[in-house]
Amino acid sequence: MEEEEEEEREVEEVWSWGAGSEGQLGTGSFDDRHLPQLLSFPPRAAASAARRISQIACGGAHSIALTAGGSVLTWGRGTCGQLGHGDVENCLKPKPVEFFEQIVISYISAGWNHSGFVSDSGSLFTCGDGSFGQLGHGDYESHSSPTRVLFFASKHAKKIACGMRHSLVLSKGPSGLGDFLYAFGSGRRGQLGTSLDSSRKSIAVPQAIHGFKGDEMIAVSANGDHSALLSANGHLYIWGRGFSGTSDSHLPQLLPSSLKFSQVTLGWNHALLLTDCGEVFMLGRMLGGRQESLEMHVPLCSTPSITPDEVCRAMTPTRVPGLDGVKVIDIGAGAEHSALVTENGTIMTWGWGEHGQLGFTVEVGLLLLLEVPAYILKVEESFYEKPNAAIYHPVVKAKGSDLRPPFTICWITGLCHRSRLQPS
Amino acid sequence: MSYDDVEIEDMEWNEELGAFTYPCPCGDLFQITKADLKLGEEIARCPSCSLYITVIYNQEDFMDDNKSNRNSKTLSSTKLPQTVTVA
Ligand SMILES: [Zn+2]
Repeated sequence: MEEEEEEEREVEEVWSWGAGSEGQLGTGSFDDRHLPQLLSFPPRAAASAARRISQIACGGAHSIALTAGGSVLTWGRGTCGQLGHGDVENCLKPKPVEFFEQIVISYISAGWNHSGFVSDSGSLFTCGDGSFGQLGHGDYESHSSPTRVLFFASKHAKKIACGMRHSLVLSKGPSGLGDFLYAFGSGRRGQLGTSLDSSRKSIAVPQAIHGFKGDEMIAVSANGDHSALLSANGHLYIWGRGFSGTSDSHLPQLLPSSLKFSQVTLGWNHALLLTDCGEVFMLGRMLGGRQESLEMHVPLCSTPSITPDEVCRAMTPTRVPGLDGVKVIDIGAGAEHSALVTENGTIMTWGWGEHGQLGFTVEVGLLLLLEVPAYILKVEESFYEKPNAAIYHPVVKAKGSDLRPPFTICWITGLCHRSRLQPS
Repeated sequence: MSYDDVEIEDMEWNEELGAFTYPCPCGDLFQITKADLKLGEEIARCPSCSLYITVIYNQEDFMDDNKSNRNSKTLSSTKLPQTVTVA
């Protein structure tokens, strides 16, 4: 007779794949990885709740992880000071940002070469490349240690989104009033959303963005020269560089759609949208993507005026193919690739995969373009070695993903049910 | 196919590389030298991947050194790693 003994324990894992040229994968090497790599971080032994990962952000070639306890770790390219370690060195493995030892961080974001951190008390810190004013300090200096943004000293920052050369900050409004959204950095393509005349210059002092019609703002996103804001009632506002070759939008545009959106994530030429029903839509197109070009060539220096017809065509979300019957719970957009997590905890990727960012094995150097999402990580493929006489049934749920130029980091948490068969 | 069209004003002068650069979606930089621009070259390549961009510029601006110096001055906001404030 055999008896079944059950144990339950929480597991948490971080996997990475794609370009590793600057150490951004956290694997300890500079190699590209075409298959997901399990990182030795967070340390398996130290499974205290405070050390669990609560957010991961991927920049141009650097990564930031935030723990539930409010500590920050960074790794990857550090040549502009974006890692916040007080130097301009690359870092091959996750390393704690000592500056935040006495500060509890609650939200993070990574841009091309800059980083943003929001503390639980509403302070904003930035570091990295400041050439375009994207650090918000009122100048164009770069910083290698997190530096408090004085503009928000009397305000309460909640979230930050860092794009290629700009930043957006969601800040709590005075009681009774709604929140405010601020922008700074390069406004060349309208990504600041502040006004038409800011189009050709950079702004180093945060400036308020208007035009959200009183909608309650809940999420903000920036990547490349794009910006987006999601409201509590599922409205999506988008501005910056035009999708599919259309003119840039210098003011926030409400996406004309009856769909209710719950998540938005931006690439350099596309936007991924998740609806409250778990369906995924896309604006624009990725490298090699088949979504039809609008066959409209608009010069780079085009005037900011946009015809209603043009807006309509560039702003019509297209359903991502190949997802019939699949309910999606999380989405992530890289510069030119995309990933999603299904309710079953599987991960699918599609788009540009030259550096392994799709997580499939391909010949090195082969330009891989995948038009339809495909599974790469299935939870049934247990992450653990199976000791003799023990059977693992991991009920692992992928928790989130974040990706940018072309690397991907996913973190996965869940309950691991262990059933041991014991001869009696 | 060219990945994108980028105006020279949107590129950053990188002293270390001796080239104008622009971010590549692979994480590296598209690069083109002043000598290339002088010759009328309009393709900036990325050393790490197969992508390239078309640079939009006025060749005359790079025909003599004085003018090219003036041009790089307009990009003086570019910060090189050495100028990072190390705390
Ligand atoms: Zn590249």
